[in-house]
Amino acid sequence: MTAFIRPRLRKPLRIALAGTVFAAAWAFRGGGAWQLSVAMEVTVLVGAVTTYVRAGEDNDEGALTGSRADERQKLLSLRSRALGWNFAMVAAFIGVTAGVAVKAAWWWPFLVILAVTGFAYLLGLSNYGVAEEGTADDVDTGHQTRSRSTPDRA
Amino acid sequence: MRNRVREQRTLREMSQAELAAALGVSRQTVISIEGGRYLPSLPLAFAIARFFGLTVDKMFDPDEEEAGT
Repeated sequence: MTAFIRPRLRKPLRIALAGTVFAAAWAFRGGGAWQLSVAMEVTVLVGAVTTYVRAGEDNDEGALTGSRADERQKLLSLRSRALGWNFAMVAAFIGVTAGVAVKAAWWWPFLVILAVTGFAYLLGLSNYGVAEEGTADDVDTGHQTRSRSTPDRA
Repeated sequence: MRNRVREQRTLREMSQAELAAALGVSRQTVISIEGGRYLPSLPLAFAIARFFGLTVDKMFDPDEEEAGT
């Protein structure tokens, strides 16, 4: 979908787009929030430009930011994301447990995060082939077993 | 896992950046492979071996302990 966008521009554009939507949400909120919205948009644009500059650097971070990562750098990113996912799950568990303990009204968003991360993990197992192990190759070894059990005529 | 990437590269008087460009990976990844901090995937291991005109088992030597298992 983003193939027509230069790799170096992809992440900055994503940041700018997401940040702009978030800033627009603050503006939509009304009241005095529009000032915060403008400040947020400026910060987002500065962040997007900074990301674009960093995407040109000759290091692992630059390669990841510039969407030109090789297999090792993708593995680094994957491990970092997995670590982030673990932290989110632990934090959500602590949140829901503490919320329940103090009879707070804010326990359920933590439960939603916990459920979403748990579901995403199961989805990952399903998508990446855990259920596609296929038939065991015992059929082949059966031939070997038979030949071994055959009395040696020599 | 020991490998002969650095040895083969210096034999051909190549820089890490040149090897990286030839293999289609980053210079940092070549550095990591040479330093033994990263084990390349099978396709990349074959690409490295092919580039130097060697077989994978000539390019990457498992440690004695691993070879015995």
